[in-house]
Amino acid sequence: MSRFTDQAYIRTRLAIMGTNLLNREELSALAALPLDELSAASGFEEVTGINNAARLATFERVLMQTWLDELSALLRPLKGSARRLLTHWASRYEVLNIKALVRGKIGQLPNEEIEKSLFRLPGFLSLNHDQLLNTDSVTELLRQLQKTPYQRLATQALRRYEERPDPFLLDATLDQQFYGELIDRAHHLSGTDRAEVLNLIGRIVDRHNLVWSLRYRFNYDLQASEVLYLAIDGGRVLDRARLQEILNADTLADAFGLLPDSLPCLREIPHQITLIEAAMRSDLLAYARRAMRYSPSALTSVLSYLVLRHGGISALYTIVHARVHGLADELLQEALDPLREEAA
Amino acid sequence: MRAGSDMRHVTLKLMREDLPRASLALAELAAFAPDERPLLESELPEIPGKTFRARMRRAWGHLDRLTSVLGELPKADPKLSLPLLSREQLVEIDQWLADAWKHCGPCEEGLHRLEDEFRELRHLEQSLNDFADLDVDLSRLQGGQGLLDIRIGSIPADNLSRLRDVLALSNHMILNVSGDTETLRVVIAGGRADAAELDSVLLAAAYQPLSIPDSFDDNPDALRAELLERRQRLEQELAQWHSRMQDWLDENGSQLLQARQLLESAEPYVHLHGAARSRGALAALQGWIPGSRLAAVETKLKEELKHPFVLEARRPRTDETYLVPVPVQNKGIMHPFSVLVQQYGVPRFGEFDPTMLFAVTFAGMFGMMFGDVGHGAVIVLTGLVLRRRLRSFSYLFGLAGASAMMFGWLYGSVFGVEHWLQPLWIAPMSDPIYMLTVALGWGVAFLTLGSAIAIINRLLSGDQAGAFFGPGGVLPLILYFALLGGLINLAQGQGFPMVATAVIILSLTVLIGYQWQSSDAPYGERIMITIIETYEIINGYATSSLSFLRVAAFSLNHVALSLAVFTLADTMGTVGHWVVIILGNLFVIVLEGFIVAIQTLRLEYYEGFSRYFYGDGKPFQPLRVGRTQTY
Repeated sequence: MSRFTDQAYIRTRLAIMGTNLLNREELSALAALPLDELSAASGFEEVTGINNAARLATFERVLMQTWLDELSALLRPLKGSARRLLTHWASRYEVLNIKALVRGKIGQLPNEEIEKSLFRLPGFLSLNHDQLLNTDSVTELLRQLQKTPYQRLATQALRRYEERPDPFLLDATLDQQFYGELIDRAHHLSGTDRAEVLNLIGRIVDRHNLVWSLRYRFNYDLQASEVLYLAIDGGRVLDRARLQEILNADTLADAFGLLPDSLPCLREIPHQITLIEAAMRSDLLAYARRAMRYSPSALTSVLSYLVLRHGGISALYTIVHARVHGLADELLQEALDPLREEAA
Repeated sequence: MRAGSDMRHVTLKLMREDLPRASLALAELAAFAPDERPLLESELPEIPGKTFRARMRRAWGHLDRLTSVLGELPKADPKLSLPLLSREQLVEIDQWLADAWKHCGPCEEGLHRLEDEFRELRHLEQSLNDFADLDVDLSRLQGGQGLLDIRIGSIPADNLSRLRDVLALSNHMILNVSGDTETLRVVIAGGRADAAELDSVLLAAAYQPLSIPDSFDDNPDALRAELLERRQRLEQELAQWHSRMQDWLDENGSQLLQARQLLESAEPYVHLHGAARSRGALAALQGWIPGSRLAAVETKLKEELKHPFVLEARRPRTDETYLVPVPVQNKGIMHPFSVLVQQYGVPRFGEFDPTMLFAVTFAGMFGMMFGDVGHGAVIVLTGLVLRRRLRSFSYLFGLAGASAMMFGWLYGSVFGVEHWLQPLWIAPMSDPIYMLTVALGWGVAFLTLGSAIAIINRLLSGDQAGAFFGPGGVLPLILYFALLGGLINLAQGQGFPMVATAVIILSLTVLIGYQWQSSDAPYGERIMITIIETYEIINGYATSSLSFLRVAAFSLNHVALSLAVFTLADTMGTVGHWVVIILGNLFVIVLEGFIVAIQTLRLEYYEGFSRYFYGDGKPFQPLRVGRTQTY
């Protein structure tokens, strides 16, 4: 396939797949449906299981499988560094699995319990979960992980865990390694792809850095320099110096006052970390929607689609989960769109 | 030649007690692939072995950890008959393995600790060497003096740049970096006033301070002796751990082996999953067995099972076409070709298995493109010499080389020399147009054969419309022949025959009508689809036919390359002449041989398989003894 036909294939695929994306109104409409109608509309009614918890777990896997199938279809024409970048993006679910395994081991949960929270991924991404589950401690788990393709990530995590066995430090290390490698792979792309993909990833990193840095600094009381060390390189707006300025503030309110003007989405937001997170997420999704349609880089369009699709799938799962457990409408709407509730 | 035509769906009705024994017997024959559809759910609602499966999983987990510390265990003798693992034995083995891990687990921990201590010692030795030439008391330097904060230690190499940036923000800097790609030894210095926050950053960066012995400054010889003594102590400790593990293995090795063998014997049972169902003492097992193995299976079950059983077999139903697993031909001379076919796909149940046709046409086209007695002989010899490494692919080398030799005789070519042998047929360069015509003729024959197989495959799978009107179907084939016949007549100066014109118009009209009928898109899109699909069918045949011209082109290319080698050799002296001849021939064999193989594969896959081969079948993966599948 030539580059031209690759682009044509991807654009056509995206145009078709784009119809699967759920916008805010569609999600709100789904959230307003009674459970039986929601089950029919979301495909939940086709999922069987011995109880609701089992059905929900299967439903989550079905949704995840849909996302992975779409990823596989979009991966098909891609080669070399573009393919490696997308494959790495998909491996974030395995990183989530690793986090779940670590948390499970720290909490000394039975293996069956831990296993329930793991995503089942296709072979080319998946680790041998059995081997990781059959470990006695986080250290042993990370040592096992060192024997897998996640060796680099595991080595860093193990060293830090041995120095200080803090779960959140481990989470931060895993995220740092994951995004570090993603950005590294993005730098190997050529021309337009590199600039456009780095722009998109930079927004994701900005959101992650700001939200988690504020939490670490003002909720967990970590030292500013330590938080800075745990931040991920490659943000679009928030470089290390700007982040340091924010983290050196004495209080959370002072830190909000130092947020850069180049993040317009934060101007009118009340000073709460969850709302900052929601605003930056909404800004990211709006950017991804534009990039999916208009980016000159087909790879960026694909990545944007995957970000949007994952957002939609997660929201759909949240709605079904909330409805099955009888969560109140208000709480559900707030969980789906905290900003709208705030505005109201 | 129909893939999987021998397959039978079987239901084995037996006593639940016999299920593990039956699964082991079936696995020993490697003739049974489980079918996990819940066909018997209403009569037999339970899936047996859930607790057993969980226990097996745990036992394997312990065993895996033990082997990761003790090393791989020797393979069991395959001739020994496998014992059957009972529920009670499994509980016992699981417990024994858990206890064994309790004993060996600390060894693993000890080994990791020693590894860390060795690493630290190595860093210490290297750091002291780094500073040996400086007249500085490192032990006083560690921690700093007065207003100065100084630290000496090591960090993971990946963390250097990030740490350097963050330390700069708190007025510290990293000096004197040395080390390897994994770990770096660093000296960190800065103002004491800014040191308060440093510890947490260094912890996050996995910094390890260097513990400098007191004797460093005043007596370097004593220090060296101390480090040597420390190393010897660690080595002694390491030897003790190894000896402790070896002692344990000597004492318990046979029991460990037996445990593994017993777990392996239960693997087939564990992997039945939903294919086995039960209710009370009754059970049933369903799956697929090649018809030719049915008798052997029945005999084996009679020998092994304690209680009576019923084995029912039936032919696959039409609604099971996509579910029937197909045994892939994987033995002897056909093996490499079957591997190449599987690269494209596994034949669907009931469709034409293209392996034999692929083998014959692959060898034929390769020979035609690479016809040379000498070069073919080298390929055959390469296959023979490297048969251990190439395994079954040495057959492919042999067949392709033999075909090249045969065409070499037909072309009269030996190592590119065309006057040593009288061609039995034609020297390609003597009449290139004739060669191109032959290649085109071969292409037409190949495409016709491909279309015929496609038609049969579709009829067999019940797709009658596809067989008549689809790409490669009866009507497109008629259209192709009419076009071809008309063009041949035209090329011979006899004009385009009326009959051909009439057939083309008629078949095109029907094809367009069919395309129009099969689309339910809006009018505009429907017109586009009809035009594009019809054009695609005509264009497909035209381009595919022309694609076969490469068969002749490469046979001409082979002669031209050999000529180039000889021309170049003639410009050299005696030694140079032979060097060029030998290297040139090697170049032709390796490079051209490789390209021709790829071109042949391309013709097979793109012009052949894409036309008639569904390739979406399910490979027959029988239950096997041993740990072949994951949970």
